[in-house]
Amino acid sequence: MNLTTILFYALAILTGACAVAVVVSQNIVRAAAWLLFALAGTAGTFFLLNADFVGATQLLVYVGGTLVLVVFGVMLTAQGPFIKMRIGAADWAIAAFVGLLLYAVLAVSLLQINVAGAKPGPMSNSENIGQALLGVRETVPQTEITGVPTHDAPRSAVYRTRMSYLLPFEIVSVHLLVVLIGAAYLARAKRRRGGAS
Amino acid sequence: MSEIGLTHYLLLGAVLFVCGAVCMATKRNAIGILMGVELVLNGSTINFVAFAHFNETFEMEGQVFALFVIVLAAAEAAVALAIVLNFYNNHASVDVDTAEELKG
Amino acid sequence: MSEFFADPYQFYAAHPGWLFVTATLLPLLSFVLIFLASGAWALLRRYRDDHPAAERMYYLFGGDVGGRGAAYVATGAIGLAFLLSLAGFLVFTFVDGDQEAARDRHESAIKELREKLVAGKGDRKEVEQDLREQEGALAAQDARWAGRSDWLRIFPGITNDPRRGTVLQLGFRIDSLAALMFMMVTFIATLIHIFSIGYMGEELEETVEDHHVHGEHGPLRRRGRFGRFFMYLSLFCFSMLNLVMADNLFLVFVSWELVGICSYLLVGFYFERQSASNAANKAFIVNRVGDAGFIIGLLILWTYVGTFNFEDLFRQVRCPVRDTQGGLVLGGQFVRGDLEPKENGAQTLRVTAPDDAAGASALLFPRDPSGDFHGVGPHGLEAINWDQVGTVEVHASPEKGQFGVMPYWMLVVAGLGIFLGCVGKSAQFPLHVWLPDAMEGPTPVSALIHAATMVAAGVYLVARVYPLFTPEALLVIAYIGGITLFVAASVAVVMTDIKKVLAYSTVSQLGYLMLALGVGGWTAGLFHLMTHAFFKALLFLCSGAVIYGCHHEQDMLKMGGLFPKMKITALTMLAGVLAISGVPTFSGWYSKDAILAQAFGYVYVHPGHVLLFLLPLVTAGITTFYMFRMWFLTFAGRPRDAHVYEHAHEPPWLLTIPLIVLAVCSVCVAWGRQPLNPEESFLAEKIGESQPASVIADFGRVENDPLWKGGRLKDEAHSERYYAQDMGWLAGDLALGLTILGVVFASLLYYYRVLDPAESQQQFPAVHAFLTHKWYFDEMYSAIIVRPSLVVAHWFKWFDLHVIDGAIHSVAYTAVWVAKWDGRFDNGVVDGLVNVVGRSVSGVGGSLRRVQTGSLRGYVLFLVLAAVGVFLLLTWWVTLVLAG
Repeated sequence: MNLTTILFYALAILTGACAVAVVVSQNIVRAAAWLLFALAGTAGTFFLLNADFVGATQLLVYVGGTLVLVVFGVMLTAQGPFIKMRIGAADWAIAAFVGLLLYAVLAVSLLQINVAGAKPGPMSNSENIGQALLGVRETVPQTEITGVPTHDAPRSAVYRTRMSYLLPFEIVSVHLLVVLIGAAYLARAKRRRGGAS
Repeated sequence: MSEIGLTHYLLLGAVLFVCGAVCMATKRNAIGILMGVELVLNGSTINFVAFAHFNETFEMEGQVFALFVIVLAAAEAAVALAIVLNFYNNHASVDVDTAEELKG
Repeated sequence: MSEFFADPYQFYAAHPGWLFVTATLLPLLSFVLIFLASGAWALLRRYRDDHPAAERMYYLFGGDVGGRGAAYVATGAIGLAFLLSLAGFLVFTFVDGDQEAARDRHESAIKELREKLVAGKGDRKEVEQDLREQEGALAAQDARWAGRSDWLRIFPGITNDPRRGTVLQLGFRIDSLAALMFMMVTFIATLIHIFSIGYMGEELEETVEDHHVHGEHGPLRRRGRFGRFFMYLSLFCFSMLNLVMADNLFLVFVSWELVGICSYLLVGFYFERQSASNAANKAFIVNRVGDAGFIIGLLILWTYVGTFNFEDLFRQVRCPVRDTQGGLVLGGQFVRGDLEPKENGAQTLRVTAPDDAAGASALLFPRDPSGDFHGVGPHGLEAINWDQVGTVEVHASPEKGQFGVMPYWMLVVAGLGIFLGCVGKSAQFPLHVWLPDAMEGPTPVSALIHAATMVAAGVYLVARVYPLFTPEALLVIAYIGGITLFVAASVAVVMTDIKKVLAYSTVSQLGYLMLALGVGGWTAGLFHLMTHAFFKALLFLCSGAVIYGCHHEQDMLKMGGLFPKMKITALTMLAGVLAISGVPTFSGWYSKDAILAQAFGYVYVHPGHVLLFLLPLVTAGITTFYMFRMWFLTFAGRPRDAHVYEHAHEPPWLLTIPLIVLAVCSVCVAWGRQPLNPEESFLAEKIGESQPASVIADFGRVENDPLWKGGRLKDEAHSERYYAQDMGWLAGDLALGLTILGVVFASLLYYYRVLDPAESQQQFPAVHAFLTHKWYFDEMYSAIIVRPSLVVAHWFKWFDLHVIDGAIHSVAYTAVWVAKWDGRFDNGVVDGLVNVVGRSVSGVGGSLRRVQTGSLRGYVLFLVLAAVGVFLLLTWWVTLVLAG
């Protein structure tokens, strides 16, 4: 019984319960709230996994950005009849069945993974992530960064050739730009033509 | 069970994933479906980070990927929301059951 | 032909027979001219309003009214024909004289010269030259009065003899009989043409009213047909003269049919009348029945003898009178025999005695006239040992110089067949039914065709082909003639229509002719033919004059006492009546006596056939009776109908002059050097010159006959003609007695009114009805022939409508049914297949469409399920693959 275990279970229960609550809750606003907590729990899980940067990013971007966006959406559209929308019991049954089926499949396949070699190790710090995003490689022994991997240096499990994530980084940034423009265009104010068009 | 291993985290991710899928299937509100999508993405992110933590060769890749996922999720949420708002402008409703115009 | 155009006179002088040919062609020319003119007139009439030239020509051709032009052309043609035939007859009689003698001279000279040549006597070249001269002279003599040309050679024939079979010829041959017939026909025809110009006067008008035909608005109105009448008359004259002149059966048959057509056209002259058109049909059809027999006869002769030419036929069928060796015993007779079994492929005939009924085959002699027929029988007049008579080699298809053979009964059938044609044409029992009905035609037609000429054609043909008739056939001819003359005379007694009386009288007299020919009176029969032609034509024209004078009244019961009003007609008619009754010194007396004498002679030799004498004898009395009855009813006594009597008048000169001429002829045409001697007659003498040798051979020889050059003759005890000549006076006296009896009866009944005919009618009603209905012949024919034909026709109509049309209809229905099924197949199966494909695709599409529910949540669920499914599938599959 160490802290990791307790924390894990607490966070897991929190996240899981909030996720289930998102599903179950009828009120859309309440569902948004539950989602918030679920996302927060996820962030905590990241921290637990020594992924500080990711966790931080999760909180910042996901919770603070995406979820706010969702809440905006909810607020914009949550008129009278749209706050609570129920579905029939048959739908619940089918959805529950499908969900359980999916969980069963996933769980069964998960449990068959050989986790013998899975040992927790230290996570990289932000510097490494930044360097990776910039496309910087670390060499051992530490010499000038030439960008050319050297082969005659002894390889150790610790030292590894880093991948360069510059291109995806750029793509994603351009992608964000496109999304920005696209979303802005899509959601522009249009003259209503008397209802459904 | 004494040690929290990879499996635990994976199962957690699976739970989030399934919840997200069921949420997508059961919510009539379009925003609700969007929430389901967020949950699904989160579940997969947990998977990535868990694998990154428990496998040293995968350390960097996992986190970077998780970052990308988060970013893209945000982008996608923005677009989805734009679409939903467009839909709401045209149909005065966010009930996806009314979006049956493509019914064959 | 070029000779003709170079010097016509020389041509006729060299070939006087062509005078008769020209005489025959003149009416044909008249026919063609009138035909073309009327055709042109009809054409011009149509276009007369369009062109002035057409209008002028139209009036030239007669215009609306028409004129007598056709009559003048026709009368001129036939009159000219008469003159030509008269000239020809005079040349024949006086210039050529005795042709037989000249012929004999030439033939004996030729025979001598030929013997000289064979024996090698004299200078060969001279002998040959003389021979050629004599042969040339003989040929020239033959060519004077005869001529023939091949018209149609069908195929080379079954033998090598080029003269055998399969040649149709056009030819003519004039002997005294033909010349006399020619003169008679043309003379009577000319007189009748003149009579017709007056009689048919009402046809000259533009509109003629026919009171016998009732239309919607009263009697029928039609255009006058004056020209047409003369056109038909000309055609008839041409065909009749052609028949007289013909020298082969084919040409006779052609003319036969032509006269039949003319009879049809002329009897049906007033064809709008139902009775007239029926009568025309009846005449033609009944004639046709006879023609069937004629054709059978022709076929048999063609098959066995191979020729139609009279001379060739007689030479082959009857044994020649003499050959190079002398007179043949069987000369002029049929040579009969039995066929012996074949030896070495050669068929032989054993000749049998002619008096027995033996011999199933008749010998056909070779056509080569100069032969030796020794094997046929001995020569000379001596008694014959028939055992010594030889056998003759015969062939089925004889070559030149060989004998042929035909079954004897075939010869009988051939004779009867040709006679059947004559029965039809000459209105003998049983085909006599058409002649009384043929009185529907105008009276000149009845006079010409049905008294003088066409009906005489049958008798003429019988006389012409006389050598072909076997004794059996002649007996049949005699009996039919006898029956006819009695039946017709009995019917004539009760007839009230003046023309019907004369019609039955004609039938009766034709029966006389046939009887005469049947009993061997060749000359007698033809003699009566000639005299009958004259007085019957006279009687008919007189009746025509009476009808004309009484304004087309034909019923004798409405006449009476017309004598003061129509003296010339009455007197001429009296002349005719006296002639037909056989009153002495009138022409009928001579000929009738000759017939009765011959009948008596025949019956004397064959007592079993006594009927053949009694019938003509009794009928002579009946003839007198009804003839005088007719005359008394018409001219004597009181008028029975005041209206008719008032309007009766003497016909104009145009009508009465032919009557007078004919009356004169009927009195004196038969006179000879001694008018009171019944056996002396110039006409009979001339006719006798053409008598065939078979008459002498069959019936014996009498004084006036030419010298018999043959062998055996019939001895007097068996010679019919001998008895006829010897004891004919008895027959004549009996006939005279009956004639007087007839006159007395007729006067008692109809002149002096001592006996009442109405009483006798009441006393014998059945007999009277029987006679008035003409022995019920028409009813019998109607029941036996007409009704069954109609029944059979109805059967055929049923068959045609139901079976044949039914078959066609069923084919049509089947086609429609098949089409319907085909349509159903096409619509159902073929289209169905296509539709099924379409519908199934559409159905599948419709079903699949429902997958698109439009429900987002459903899509998500399916997505998840699909993902799970794929995942499971893959894991299992991979597991299985890896495991296996």
